[in-house]
Amino acid sequence: MFWRLLWKLLRGSSGRLVVAILALVTGAMVISALLNLEFDVERKLTQEFRMLGANLVISPGHDAQVNGAAPAALMNQSEAFAAIQSLKDPAVVAAAPFLYIVERAGNTPVVVAGTKLEELPELEPAWRIEGQWTSSRENQIPCIVGRNVARQLHLALGSTLLLSYLGKTTQATLVGIVDAGGAEDNQVFMGLAEVQRLAGLPGQIGLAQLSVRGTAKNISEFAARLAAALPSYEVRPIRQVTEAEGDLLNRIRLLIGSMVVLILALTALCVLATMAALAMERRQDVGLMKALGGSIARIVTLFMAEVGVLGAAGGFVGAILGIELSRWMGQRVFGTAISLRWEIFPLTIALMVAVALAGALPLRLLGKVKPAVIFRGE
Amino acid sequence: MATLVQVENLRKEFGNVCALAGVSFRVEAGEWIAIMGPSGSGKTTLINILGGLDMPTSGQAIVDAIDVGRLDESGLTRFRAQKIGFIFQQFHLVPYLTALENVMLAQYFHSTTDEKEAREALERVGLGDRVEHLPGKLSGGEQQRVAVARALINHPKLILADEPTGNLDEANEETVIQLFHELHREGHTILMVTHAPSIGRLADRRIAFAHGRLVEVPASLKTSP
Repeated sequence: MFWRLLWKLLRGSSGRLVVAILALVTGAMVISALLNLEFDVERKLTQEFRMLGANLVISPGHDAQVNGAAPAALMNQSEAFAAIQSLKDPAVVAAAPFLYIVERAGNTPVVVAGTKLEELPELEPAWRIEGQWTSSRENQIPCIVGRNVARQLHLALGSTLLLSYLGKTTQATLVGIVDAGGAEDNQVFMGLAEVQRLAGLPGQIGLAQLSVRGTAKNISEFAARLAAALPSYEVRPIRQVTEAEGDLLNRIRLLIGSMVVLILALTALCVLATMAALAMERRQDVGLMKALGGSIARIVTLFMAEVGVLGAAGGFVGAILGIELSRWMGQRVFGTAISLRWEIFPLTIALMVAVALAGALPLRLLGKVKPAVIFRGE
Repeated sequence: MATLVQVENLRKEFGNVCALAGVSFRVEAGEWIAIMGPSGSGKTTLINILGGLDMPTSGQAIVDAIDVGRLDESGLTRFRAQKIGFIFQQFHLVPYLTALENVMLAQYFHSTTDEKEAREALERVGLGDRVEHLPGKLSGGEQQRVAVARALINHPKLILADEPTGNLDEANEETVIQLFHELHREGHTILMVTHAPSIGRLADRRIAFAHGRLVEVPASLKTSP
C-alpha cells in the first residue's frame, strides 16, 4: 500500500510537482556537469600545461665537474640519463639532452643546440614545424632551424647549412623550420653527437630538459627523487609552469565548488516554494489521514518518500543531461571531450535527494496539523 | 449491556467560548444515539472529543474504558485507528485515491491492508461495481457509502457520524440511513449528529444540546419508531 499511495501522491500532484522536478533536473544537470568538469579538470589542465613544454631541468650543480676537471658547466650525459631511466617513471613524457655552442654560418654567428631531434615533438608540443623533425637518411646530417634563422640566412627546406666551430666544419641538411615563439626561433638544432664532435666534448651536455606528466605536486616529488639520484647536479622544476598550473587548478576548483553550493541552495529554495504550496493543499488529506489513525511518522514518511523519489528521479535525469553538458563544455573550453566519470551519477543523485528533502521542510510541518481544526474549516 | 461511552462533566472551551459546559451521559454498547441541537450547540465538539480529534478542557470522556483526555499524541493515534470509525458530512475521501484505495487507506493506518476485505466492504454498501472509481466520479450518496465502508473496515467499537446525510438528496439519504439500520442490527454502537428530526427519531435514544449543555429532548422527538 505504501508504494501504491506513493504513486498516487506523485500522480495526484503531478501538476504542482512539475516545477520542483524541473528545478531538480536543471540543478542536477548543472551540478553534474560542473562535478564532471571538476573531477577531470586536473587531468585536462595537466595536458594543457604539458603543451607549454619542458617542466623540469637538470643542470650542472655548483660543484659539478667532468672527469674530475673543468669545465664545470657541463654534465655527463650517460650519468644523467641513466638516473632518469633508473626511476622508471611512466610520467616522463620526453627527455632531451642539450649542448649549446655558438658556431658560424658563413660570417653569421648562430647558437647551435645539439639534442635528440626525435624527442622535440614530445618535449615541445606547442612548437609548430614546417617540414620534419628529423631525417632517417644515413648520408645526411639533419638539422632544424628557428624561423628567424631561416629568414636571416635565406634558408628553405632541403637547403645545406655549412657550420664551423673552432676550425671544424659540418654540413647539415635543413629538414624543418620551427616556429617556437621564443628564443628557439634564433637557434639551430642538430643531432647531439655531431655538436659534441664539433665542440670536442664527447659524452658531455649542458643541460637536460624533461616533460613530466602530473600535477605540480607530482612533478616536485619526481624532481626530488631525481635529485636524490643525481646528487652532484641540480634538478629543478620550471616554477612558472608548475606554480601556474597549481594556482589555476585551485582557482577553478574554488569557482566550481562555489557554483555547486549556490546551485544546490537555489534548487532547495525552488523545491521549498513548491512544497510550501503543496503542504497547504495537503492539509485536508493529512487531517483525514490522522483522523483515520495515521501516525505522524507514517504520514510524514510517505511525503518524504515522495520527495526523495522526486530528488532521485531529478538527479538521475539531470546527471545524464549534465554529462552531455560537460562534454560540450569540455569541447568548448579544452577543445576535447571531458571523460565520463561514473561516480558523478550516485553523487548527483545523492545531492539532489538531500536537496529535495531539505526543500521539503514545509511537508514536515504537516505533522502538526490538527484534524479537528481542519474539519472545522479553519 | 455494558457501558461503552461514559461522559462525565465534560467541558471544552475555545478561548472565551464555551463549546461544552459540563456534559454527562452514558451510551451502552450496541445503542444508536442521535445527538441533536442547533448549530453551535457543541454536537460536533463532543464527537471530536469522543473520536480523539480534540482534547477536553476538563471532565472525562471514556470510550471502551479509555479516558481519551489522558492520551498522548501516539495514544490518540492508536485510539482513532483501533476504536473509532468516522463518517463525516463532507465525506472526506482522498480525491486521488479510488474508492477501494480510500477504504484500504484506513486498513493501512490500522495494521495491514487486505484488498479482498476492502472489496467486500464496498460490495456490502452496494458499490461492488465502483471500486476503481475516484471520488470525483461518484455521486454524493456513493461517496458517503465509501465513507461508511471505510469507517467499518477496521471493525471499530464506536461509529461517530457527523451529519452523515447532511449533504445527500432524499434518495441517497434513504440508502445511507438503511445502512445505519443494518449496522445497528448487527450490534454496532453509533453516535450520530443530525439536525433532521426524522432521522433522529430512528435512533434508540436522542440527546439534545443547546449552548453546550444537555437539554430535555423535545416531546416531538421522544418517540422511537
